[in-house]
Amino acid sequence: MDESLENSGNTLTSHFFRTEYGKLVAVISRYLGNHHVETAEDIVQETMLRATSHWEMNGVPDNPKAWLYTTAKNLSLNTIKRGKYQRDYAAKNSLKPNLESAVPFSEELIADSQLRMMFCCCHPSVSENSQIALVLKILSGFSIQEIAHAFFSNTETINKRLVRGRKQLRQVSLELVNEKVINQRLDAVLKTIYLLFNEGYFPSSKNEIIRFDLCLEAIRLAQLLQESKSVQLKTDLHSLLALMYFNVSRFNSRVSKDGKVLDLKEQDRSLWDENSIQTGMQYLEEVTQSHKISKYALLATISAHHCAAPTYEQTKWNDILGLYDQLLSLEQSPIVALNRAVVLSEVEGATKAIEALEVLASQSDIGQYYMYPFTLGELYKRNQEWDKALEAYQNAQRLTANPRDKELLSKKIQDLVPNLPSQLS
Amino acid sequence: MREFLLLIRSEESPKANLSPEQMQQHIEKVGGYLQRLTEEGKMKSAQPLEMEGTMLSYQNGKIIDGPYNETKEIISGYYHLLANDMEEAVAIAKQDPRFEEGIWRVEVRPIKRVEGIN
Repeated sequence: MDESLENSGNTLTSHFFRTEYGKLVAVISRYLGNHHVETAEDIVQETMLRATSHWEMNGVPDNPKAWLYTTAKNLSLNTIKRGKYQRDYAAKNSLKPNLESAVPFSEELIADSQLRMMFCCCHPSVSENSQIALVLKILSGFSIQEIAHAFFSNTETINKRLVRGRKQLRQVSLELVNEKVINQRLDAVLKTIYLLFNEGYFPSSKNEIIRFDLCLEAIRLAQLLQESKSVQLKTDLHSLLALMYFNVSRFNSRVSKDGKVLDLKEQDRSLWDENSIQTGMQYLEEVTQSHKISKYALLATISAHHCAAPTYEQTKWNDILGLYDQLLSLEQSPIVALNRAVVLSEVEGATKAIEALEVLASQSDIGQYYMYPFTLGELYKRNQEWDKALEAYQNAQRLTANPRDKELLSKKIQDLVPNLPSQLS
Repeated sequence: MREFLLLIRSEESPKANLSPEQMQQHIEKVGGYLQRLTEEGKMKSAQPLEMEGTMLSYQNGKIIDGPYNETKEIISGYYHLLANDMEEAVAIAKQDPRFEEGIWRVEVRPIKRVEGIN
């Protein structure tokens, strides 16, 4: 046997390239300076490309990380030697080790670099849209196409967000992220992680795999914060982790085999992932001990109630309604009020919930958000008021531009048809 | 058994546009394919080639650089394999998972055998 084929028995852990991409870009960016994050990305892409060409034929080496790190280091040193980056490289007054002697990059250096990058991507001067795109591209190793795919968007839109985001990112120094900054801006970073998770979590029959990866990525980023000693107050972080673990436990039960999106009532609860629920419970336990009430803690507790209920009917709707009232007292959000109405319908019936929604619409502009008529439609359907349900679904369809939502609504409308008075009779 | 040289040709590098996740899938698929053939004793050697190199030719009594191909096509690797006949070699080449993802070309050439010499 050819000796080059001997070590082809090694395998890579799942998402190895994607995760290592994020680690390497974060580390190399620190050496090149925050003006050159894109150059760092090019270097890492080239590293991965070399690895691909070599490993596909010769097999995965015994220590794939070391292979990548050495190649990335050499490519970085070549780039630095070419001069353009000399100034940024020379202007180092931080604690990071010299690049020549930094390989293999220590876990501390990697974790510290990723944390810095995370806080820079979520800098207040970067718009929310761009923040998520930057995090996914730079820290999570997703391609523009993959981000577009997961977001039901196109590559031009995502590219625009990235270009705008990168421009802002150049003004933000990776080296200025310190413990004070981390604790001041933790809320903003948690919010981005939460939005990222929700983007992946929205139910749909399409792109399930890549969006599940988005949810796992949000959890991975939160775990990075969880492992960091620089993050002092972790209560909100634990609440967010609990919330994400509870929600992700239901991921695989939300779409039927024939591609139909299933709501909580229709899901097969035996498919819920027990491990994720247990992990969520552990994080929630730590939150409960701190006696701090926060948005994430309330949302996590609500989600825990769903996970713990043996059937939809046996859900503790009264308790959940109380939690929604607490949420509303923290933040007067029309969207929270909208969700509360759904819970109210389980406690006091659909008619009461419809009344609550009508009051809500008169006090806010929630009526312009497609989820409002969507929810109304669901409630009318439950009351067997078919005409009103149809009208509400059609309103919802008009208010959303997202093909994913339009498709879901078309299905809802189709399901109504047998109940509508026939046009011929 | 006959020996075959399979030349993997591509324009620029089809892999350059793959995302990290897709690169990993590429390694796993192509690597698995090569490993299987190696275990079956059919693959003698498989190597990638650097994307750079030089072309020498002999002209007017001296060795010169070039001429270089006008096309962007480049040989990016080769397989040295054993097969019963051309038909089997082609069948093996067709199974290469790299065809699923880009503009690859594989040239299948039997290695010349002269009876009594090799």
